[in-house]
Amino acid sequence: MATTSDSGEIEGFGQVSRTVGTVFRYLLLAATMFGIVMLGVLLLYVANDAIRPLTADPGWYLVFLLALVVPSAAVGWTVRRRDSEAFNFGTLLVGMLVVSLMFSGGVALLVIDVVPPLVALAYAIGIAVPVGLSVLLTGQAHRISFTPRLAATTALFYLSLFGLPGPVGGALGVPQVVPSLVGAIQSIPVIPVDWMMIAAVVGGGSAAAVGAYAAGIGDRTTGLYAATAAFAATLVAGALGPAVGLGAVPAVVVTAVAFVPTGAYAWRGGFAEEGSPLGLVFAATVVGGALVGALAVDALGFAGPASWVDWGFLTSAHSGTAENAGLYPAIGGSILLMATVAALSFPLGVGAAVYLEEYAPDNALTRFVDVNISNLAGVPSVVYGLLGLGVFVTYLGQSAGTVLVGGATLALLILPIVIISSREAIRSVPSDMRQASYGMGATRWQTVKNVVLPEAFPGILTGTILALGRAIGETAPLIMIGAPNVVFNLPDTLGSKVSAMPLQVYAWSGLFASEDFYTKAVPAGVVVLLAVLLAMNSVAIVLRNKFERTG
Amino acid sequence: MTREPERNSRVSRRKLLTAVGGLGAAGLAGCTQQNTGGDATAEPTAADSDGDSSDGSGDGGSQTLSGDIDIAGSSTVFPLATAMGERFEEQHSGVSISLQSTGSGGGFANYFCTGQTDFNNASRPIQPEEEEQCADNDVEPVELKVATDALTVIVNNDNSFIGEGLTVEELEAIWSAESAPETWADVNSEWPDEPLELYGPSDASGTYDYFNETIIGEEGEHRQDYSPTEQDRTIIQGVSGSEFAMGYLGFAYYSQNQDTVQAVSISDGDDEYVEPSLDTALSGEYTPLSRPLFTYPKVAALQEEHIGEFARFWIENSTDEAIVADEVGYVPLSEDEREEMLGRIDEAAGGSD
Repeated sequence: MATTSDSGEIEGFGQVSRTVGTVFRYLLLAATMFGIVMLGVLLLYVANDAIRPLTADPGWYLVFLLALVVPSAAVGWTVRRRDSEAFNFGTLLVGMLVVSLMFSGGVALLVIDVVPPLVALAYAIGIAVPVGLSVLLTGQAHRISFTPRLAATTALFYLSLFGLPGPVGGALGVPQVVPSLVGAIQSIPVIPVDWMMIAAVVGGGSAAAVGAYAAGIGDRTTGLYAATAAFAATLVAGALGPAVGLGAVPAVVVTAVAFVPTGAYAWRGGFAEEGSPLGLVFAATVVGGALVGALAVDALGFAGPASWVDWGFLTSAHSGTAENAGLYPAIGGSILLMATVAALSFPLGVGAAVYLEEYAPDNALTRFVDVNISNLAGVPSVVYGLLGLGVFVTYLGQSAGTVLVGGATLALLILPIVIISSREAIRSVPSDMRQASYGMGATRWQTVKNVVLPEAFPGILTGTILALGRAIGETAPLIMIGAPNVVFNLPDTLGSKVSAMPLQVYAWSGLFASEDFYTKAVPAGVVVLLAVLLAMNSVAIVLRNKFERTG
Repeated sequence: MTREPERNSRVSRRKLLTAVGGLGAAGLAGCTQQNTGGDATAEPTAADSDGDSSDGSGDGGSQTLSGDIDIAGSSTVFPLATAMGERFEEQHSGVSISLQSTGSGGGFANYFCTGQTDFNNASRPIQPEEEEQCADNDVEPVELKVATDALTVIVNNDNSFIGEGLTVEELEAIWSAESAPETWADVNSEWPDEPLELYGPSDASGTYDYFNETIIGEEGEHRQDYSPTEQDRTIIQGVSGSEFAMGYLGFAYYSQNQDTVQAVSISDGDDEYVEPSLDTALSGEYTPLSRPLFTYPKVAALQEEHIGEFARFWIENSTDEAIVADEVGYVPLSEDEREEMLGRIDEAAGGSD
C-alpha cells in the first residue's frame, strides 16, 4: 500500500519530478535523430558535389519556381483540402512516372545493348508457346492425371527451348534432328525490323500486365480492351518515335514500360469507380509544369546546374579524364547482376521459406536449420565473397569476375534474408484461412498454392526487393571474386566480365590519383547508385502499403 | 450467366481480327529486314560509333573485331592501360576490355600464370619463379616495354628539414628492415626527433619489388612495419596528412597531385640531387629509380586477331606524348624501342601459323 506524504513523495517511487521524464524523452529524441541527421548531412554534401545546384542561373530557378513549384503547390494545396485521397493518388502517380521512367531506361539498356531483339523475340515465343499449351493441358486436369501432364509440359518446354535431342543428346554425340522453336525462329531469313520485335516482346509483356490489372478492376472485357489499347499505344509510339527525334526502339520501350502502366494507373484512379479526377489534375500540373519549365529554360537560354550526373555520365564508359568518365557499363552490369541474383535467390529462398513454414516438422533438425539461417543473414559480405571465389572460381573452374559468378555469389549473400522475410510474410497469413481451406477438403499443396502464397506474395516480393537493394550496393564480394575495376562494354553473356556501380565508385575513389575523380566522378556515381536504390525501395514500400491496406 | 461465354467469345473474336489486321498491315507496310544472323541486328550503336573512328591514330584495321580482352597487373601501369583501352574501344566497340589493378606480382601469380588473363601489366621484369609458374600452365609471356617511369619518393609539403633531397643511403636506412628507424632523428641526427610515418605499395606490387631491389638490395630486406596499400591514392592521402610522413609510388600518381605532396630529389652516390621528372628519367640522370614499365601478353592470346590488334595499337601509341606523358604521366618509348616491340608482337602472333 503506497501512502502519499505531504512532500509528494510516493513510497517506492522516490521524488516525483517531471524534469527527469522530460530530459529522458528528449535524450531519446536526440538518439533517434542522431543517425538520420548525420546521414542526411552526408547525403546533402555528396549531392551538392555531384549536382552542384549553385552553378545554375538564377533565371533557371525563377522559371522553375514559376512554372513548377508555385502552380504545383497551389493546386496541390487546393486538391488536398478538398480530397486528401486524390492528393495522395496524384503524388503516387507522379512518383510512379518517375520510377517507371528510370526502369524503362534499364530495360532500354538491356534490349538495345545486351540482348539482340531477334533472340529476345525467339525466347519470348519459345517460352510463351509451351506456357500456353501447358495452361491448356491444365484445363484438362480432370481428364489427364498429373504425371503425364508433368511429362508433357516438360517435353514441351524442352522441345521449344532445345529441340531434339538437344543438349542431352549433344552430350552423347547424337546430332540435332529437330531444331528448337527458339533456334527455328532465329533462322528465319526475313524478320520484322528491330523495333517491331521489341514492341512484340516488351509491349506484349506490358499489355498482358495492364490487361490483367484492368481485368482485376473491371471484368474480362475491360481487360481485353486495356491490353489491346496498351499494345496499340506501344506500336503507335514505335511508328511515331522517329518523327519526334526519339528513335523507334527507345520510344517503344519508354511507352511500354513507363507510359502504358502509368496511364493504366491514372485511368483507374481518375475514372474507374470511386476514383477522382482531382488527383489527375494535380499530377498533370506537376508533369506539365516540369515540361513547360524545361521548354522555357531552353528558349530563354538559362543554364541549369552543371551537374556531373548528366546524360553523358549515364551513357558513356570510363575515361581517363574525370569529366568524360561515365557509369554506363557499371549500370548495365548492376542490372544484369540483379537479374541473375533475383532469378537464383527468389525460387530458392521462397521454396525454402514455404518448406520451413508449411511442411517442416518441429524437430531438432528444423531448429538447427532455423538458427543457422538467422546466423547466415549476419555473416559479413566479404566472407560470402570468399565463398564465391572458393566454390565457383577455384572449385568449379568458372572464370573470375563474370556475371554468373558475381550473381551467384550475391544470390548466396541475400538468400538468408529472402528466406527470413518470406517466412515472415507466410507466417503473417492468418491461420484461419489455412484452416478454412483444409475445412473445405483442400490438400496442403492446394492450400499453399491457392491460399497461402497469393496472400503472402506482396510481402514476399517486398522482402525480396529490399534484399536486392542490399545486393546492389555490395562491393566486397565483387572484389573478392575478381570483378574488373574498369570495363568499357556491357556484358553480353553470363560469362562476360562485369563491373557494378559500387565497384566502379570504389575504383574511382582509389585507383585514380587525380583529385577530379574523387570530387566529380565519385559523388556522381554515389548519387546514381542511391537513386536506383531508392527507386527499388519505393517499389517495395508501395507494395507493402498496398498489402497492409488490403490484407 | 448464360450469356457470359457468348460475350467473351465475341470479344476474343474481335481481338483476333484486330490482331490479325494489325499484323497484316505491318507486313504490308514492309516492316521487315533481312536476318543477317547472330547479333548483328542488336548493334546499331556499334554501327553508329564506327563513323567517327576513321580519324583515329590506329592502323585502320578491320572494324569487325570482337571478343574479350582481360588485363590485370600493376597499379602503376593501370592508368596507361586504361587510357589505351579507352582509345581502342572508341575504334572497336565490339571488343570488350576489362582491366583490373592487382599489383604486378599479384597479377602474375593469381591471374596471368593461371591462364585467366590475356595481359599482365608489370612495373618490373617478370621473375624466374613466375616464368616457371606460367610454363607449368602452358602460358608463354612476351615482354613488351610500354613506358619509362620515375619512381617517386614523396614527403609532406611542410617538410623542409630534408633540405635538397635524400641520398640512396638515407633511403636505404629508412626503408630497410635491419635498421628500421623509429624516428627521423635515428636516420640523421639533424632531423627532428619525430616518428617516421611510412606509406608504400604492398608486396604484391612491382613498385615495391623494384624499390626493394634497387634501394635496399639483394641482401637487405624491405621493412614491413609501414602502411602498405594497392590504392596509390591512399599513399598520397597518408603523406599529405602528416608532416613527418613519407611514401613512394609511380610518377603518374605524383604528377596528378603535385600541389598535394612534394617529390624528393635523389642523389645516387655523388652530391648532385636530381628531381624526378619525365626529362630526368628520359635522359638517364634520375638514377637509380627510373625504371621501365612492361606489359606481358601471352603468346596464345596474341594470335587471336583482336588481342594482337590491341597489343599493336598500344605499342604504336606508346610513343605518343599526348597520351603517355601528358595524360598519364610516364616517359614515352623511343621510335627504336617501338619498332623492336612491334617486332616481338609480330613474331609471337605469327609464331605457330
